[in-house]
Amino acid sequence: MKEFFLGIDVGSVSTNIVLIDKEGEVFYSAYTRTNGQPLESVKKGIKELHKAFPKDGRIRGVGSTGSGRQLIGTMVGADVIKNEITAHATATAHVVPDVKTIFEIGGQDSKIIIIENQMVVDFAMNTVCAAGTGSFLDHQSERLGIPIEEFGDLALTAERDVRIAGRCTVFAESDMIAKQQFGFSKAEIIKGLCEALVRNYINNLGRGKKLEAPFVFQGGVAANKGIKSAFEKEINHEVIIPKHHNIMGAIGAAILAREYVEESNCPTKFRGFEATDLSFEPSAFECGGCSNKCEVIKVEMEKQVVAMWGDRCGKWANSL
Amino acid sequence: MKVSFPYMGTTIVYKKLLELLGHEVIMPPKPSQRTINLGVKYSPEFACFPLKVIMGSYIEALEAGAEVLVTSGGHGPCRAGFYEQVHRRILEEKGHTVDFIVFNSMFRDFKQFYSNIKKLKDKNSWLKVIKSLWLVYLMINKLDILEKEVQRIRAYEVKRGETTKVWESIQKDFDTVRNKVQVMAAYDKGRKRLADIKTYEVKEDRKLRIGIVGEIYVVMEASINMKMEELLGNMGAEVERSQYLSQWVAYNALPSFINKTHEVDIIKAGEPFIPINIGGHAKQTVGHIADYGERGFDGVIHLMPFGCLPELVSQSIIPKISQQYDIPVLTLSIDEQTGTANNLTRVEAFIDLIRGKRMKKIS
Ligand code: SF4
Ligand code: SF4
Repeated sequence: MKEFFLGIDVGSVSTNIVLIDKEGEVFYSAYTRTNGQPLESVKKGIKELHKAFPKDGRIRGVGSTGSGRQLIGTMVGADVIKNEITAHATATAHVVPDVKTIFEIGGQDSKIIIIENQMVVDFAMNTVCAAGTGSFLDHQSERLGIPIEEFGDLALTAERDVRIAGRCTVFAESDMIAKQQFGFSKAEIIKGLCEALVRNYINNLGRGKKLEAPFVFQGGVAANKGIKSAFEKEINHEVIIPKHHNIMGAIGAAILAREYVEESNCPTKFRGFEATDLSFEPSAFECGGCSNKCEVIKVEMEKQVVAMWGDRCGKWANSL
Repeated sequence: MKVSFPYMGTTIVYKKLLELLGHEVIMPPKPSQRTINLGVKYSPEFACFPLKVIMGSYIEALEAGAEVLVTSGGHGPCRAGFYEQVHRRILEEKGHTVDFIVFNSMFRDFKQFYSNIKKLKDKNSWLKVIKSLWLVYLMINKLDILEKEVQRIRAYEVKRGETTKVWESIQKDFDTVRNKVQVMAAYDKGRKRLADIKTYEVKEDRKLRIGIVGEIYVVMEASINMKMEELLGNMGAEVERSQYLSQWVAYNALPSFINKTHEVDIIKAGEPFIPINIGGHAKQTVGHIADYGERGFDGVIHLMPFGCLPELVSQSIIPKISQQYDIPVLTLSIDEQTGTANNLTRVEAFIDLIRGKRMKKIS
């Protein structure tokens, strides 16, 4: 019998599902768009996984992470529900054991994690400024009429350097137009944009931190060669991109589940593949208990309330 | 006269003092989303966050019928010194007539202090005033002792939320006291009730201690800082704040020859990092981090109101202190969006970091 650990990373943009074996090797992975419907995308993802799941396989533990970790963790019956920082760091330290600095850039957010002797010692997250995330590039690629997949390769063909003001998306846009009028090629502009994003990222998240090699770059944006080379230019050092760079969060969640199950020796809380067919209804209501008027999330499974959160006073969460 | 005051921390003590002097006290409601919305709506956009919340708090107090607002002034070059003028203006523009009584440290302007006291004294005898002050001071001290206990026990409670419930009911008990004997009775009862809370046995080397530092309002007022103390407590960490009312009173109202407060040492500890007075609580912030570092705390949460200049300065120095004392620090900016999942994620990750540091691994 083969034993597996399931990791689910539910973000606002993508939902990732991975299966790792006891050695931590990735056995299966799937990357789908969340499209604002985390429950649906996870249900779908788990059904797909079920089809590919070996007959003699057994799930021994489940971990969830990402902004939807609570909801999804409740639905599938996760043993570990972890924040993204810890999940990412766990996965990276697994593939690059001596890593010191992790750059992570996703579609809607970005993080930096500083590691010493396999321990997280500092981190920062950017969740407000689009100029340091993948959506900045998406936006500009649309403007330039160049598919984002070609962005990276094109950037590498640039002959000259051009500096684009990248403090914020609005400025970058007007500056980009100005630079185009000066006669810079699209490739050069794109290279400039990549460098602007990296500068922004480092200024925003790297401030006051000691950035030391080995550097690992992961997240959806790590597929972009232009950004990778912009990073290498900015920090003057090689940057490692792990093979599974865009599903590191899910891998981390799976590893954490494995550690938890092995240490505690508890049987998994996984509800099984069939559980995706159960009725699972999250709903929100406004509590009128005081003038906070909290939006409380209530999750029902087969008409049974299984979780509640969002209340500031804890009167609902503690009532279960 | 009907008096009110900004809502911050254990408010029953201000209420008690005013009541003892025979005033009718209008309790401002605990800051809620409505308070914040009101405050944000009527304050200048670039004002710091505490100014906005207190603005909302005043509006709600006036709605409830308050005529006079008693508040403390701020020192030095940051905006705290203008609070009262800004608030007064905005309230006047909104069509409210209101009187302010602003207390500053009595050593900076004794005349003002004296005339304020006289206003509040009303027809009471001086003896009565002094007795009332003394009783309230005793109350503050006792409440702070109990609160420190609450902050410790909460990390280990078996039934989640129990400690907070007990603490709330202790405050209610204190709300009814009229004299020293009753204060002591409420205190003893409180101690006993806290001791009765069922807790988990946790080994000494697995205990986590976290300090909370930053600007006084966001540190003291739980309703706007994501209930940071409860949050950390629920994650299993003991908590200590940089500010307690008893310290504030001792530092600002006791003459220096008996004023051997911890705060004096703290400010000294902060001096190497911020040598001059830049206002707010920046010096205390860095001093407290150094102090927590020296006392072997596991980490520090630094709360910084959005738009606060002094804390911005301390934030920029924190990496240096953090390194020197080998103590992790997480800075959170507090504004009307604070309750968001992202900040929760940061706090969770921070606790993992601290635990990992203890156990020499990531999780
Ligand atoms: S959940 Fe609690 S804090 Fe929120 S509105 Fe209801 S009573 Fe108020
Ligand atoms: S310390 Fe900061 S938050 Fe407080 S008044 Fe000064 S600037 Fe505003």
